[in-house]
Amino acid sequence: MTLTLIRKQLRDLRLALFVVGLLLAAFECLWVKITERISGKLVPLLSGLAAASRIGFGQVQNTIFEGPGKILRTLIGGESVNLDNAMQVLSIGYVHPLVQTVLCVWAIGRASGAIAGEIDRGTMELLLAQPVPRSRVVLAHLCVDVLTIPILCLCMWAGTFLGTWLVGPIRMDPSELKKMPFKVEADESKLELRPAAFGPSLVNVAALVFAVSGTTLWLSARGRFRGRVLGTVVVITLLQFLINVVGQMWDALEWLRPFTVFYYYQPQQIAMSARWTVAWGEWATVNVLAVLFGVGAAGYALALWTFTRRDLPAPL
Amino acid sequence: MLLHTEHLTKSYNGFRALDDLNLTVTRGEVVGLLGPNGSGKTTALRLILGFLRPTTGHATVAGHDCWADSVRARRHVSYLPGELRLYENMTGRQLVRFLGELRGDERRADVDALARRFDIDLDRPIAHLSSGMKRKVALLQVLVPHAPLLILDEPTNTLDPTMRDELLAQLRQARDGGQAVVFSSHVLGEVEQVCDRVAILQRGRLVHLQEMKELRQGRLVHVRFGGAAPAPPDLPGLSVREQGDGRATWEHAGDLPPLLEWLGRQPILELRIEPLGLSGVYHRYHGAVA
Repeated sequence: MTLTLIRKQLRDLRLALFVVGLLLAAFECLWVKITERISGKLVPLLSGLAAASRIGFGQVQNTIFEGPGKILRTLIGGESVNLDNAMQVLSIGYVHPLVQTVLCVWAIGRASGAIAGEIDRGTMELLLAQPVPRSRVVLAHLCVDVLTIPILCLCMWAGTFLGTWLVGPIRMDPSELKKMPFKVEADESKLELRPAAFGPSLVNVAALVFAVSGTTLWLSARGRFRGRVLGTVVVITLLQFLINVVGQMWDALEWLRPFTVFYYYQPQQIAMSARWTVAWGEWATVNVLAVLFGVGAAGYALALWTFTRRDLPAPL
Repeated sequence: MLLHTEHLTKSYNGFRALDDLNLTVTRGEVVGLLGPNGSGKTTALRLILGFLRPTTGHATVAGHDCWADSVRARRHVSYLPGELRLYENMTGRQLVRFLGELRGDERRADVDALARRFDIDLDRPIAHLSSGMKRKVALLQVLVPHAPLLILDEPTNTLDPTMRDELLAQLRQARDGGQAVVFSSHVLGEVEQVCDRVAILQRGRLVHLQEMKELRQGRLVHVRFGGAAPAPPDLPGLSVREQGDGRATWEHAGDLPPLLEWLGRQPILELRIEPLGLSGVYHRYHGAVA
């Protein structure tokens, strides 16, 4: 029975899954090319300018990210990201707002329609007129998440691999270097791309999608109209995103960041320094996966609790 | 006893959508639920299906509580919703197969035969079907599992007359095969044709439960007298529905000859005798309001 429900949901989702997977893969692939342009062309130019001006590259970078540029720096991963390191630039592809948006759109879109959508369309009563326990409906959605989220994550990773293969090793073009009126020293070690390093980060990506999906499913299990659930979750998610971004720039809001799921989305630091924890104030650290998977699991548990107790209203 | 409801009540913020319904349905019986919109028919059916949690009371199907043991109860039920919504991205065949798999029922032999009888193309996407065709597909998915209890919410909506007759024939066949049928309708004629019992609901309450056999034996007697209408004779099964201005309408379920003999002695200008029918009973409760 559960397998029948899963098969049906996967059948309904296959086109959207293909499109979203392709989009993520294409973006990561494109991001490798962008990394090559930044690390192979822009950074040497800026490094040369810095050397000519007798200042460090860090100072140039700080000047770029001063003032309004700080928002940009926050969005691409904060002060831990240096433009002169190709791997760090490549890692921006995993925290880019577009990627986070696509991941959230998938999670919210799918989960909001899962229960409220079926009630809204009137097909839930066709389903529950059969001897199907409501808990199996929730279980089937959990299984679909467990199957589809890794596919999306692997699409991102595949995009990074494909892009790295297509772009090849990043090199500073000697002919370009010669054209510059100042001497530029290339640090080849900072240009190396290692897409395999993002493998562990994918677990964090999956955890974020699961957290958003779980909480959305809970609201979906309470709701009657997909549109309302969708609107509510979009507002909540957007607020969380903004709080997390603004909290990095404005100390007065810093304390709110741990209450957002995006605070625990750290694929860059996992890939770069294998650090799986974030601080809770000054007194504790917490594992990002534990929080995100915990939020998702709590969402599913609440969805189960709500859906098995609620009345099923007649479709309007 | 296949279906049993006891003091079944559903309230929404103090409003009683269904109030203290006591009803029993046995195998091989067709029961019609009658009442205008908002009388509680659909609420009763949704409570039986476990879609709604009763405020008080309970319902059981084959001994299983419809809310607490809903899945086991629903194993014995096949349901046709009033507001029909199907998975539009499936074909009729895919839908029947999908719902059959959810029941763990691999019965397929009947599908094509029923489809031919209903004149349905099962291989067309449901999205491309007319509303009548969609209802036929939905009826098919109700009939295929051979569940002991069929619950149909206004099943003849959007069906053409031929298909309506076909459906009613199917319901009779289901009853003869030992299945029980509970269906709600606004159309008195079709209820009269097929039901063994009728439950009339008014503002959430069951106000009348009628054996159709009794109803078919009853008759309405309309008389116009050549003067003031006399008091009716004291005969078994005779009751007054209306009387005055030289006219009388009586309900009669007893032997006819004694009544005709009494009428023969009266100054009658006009006499009309007709079957009592469901309409008379129904309009007793919903005449002016319905």
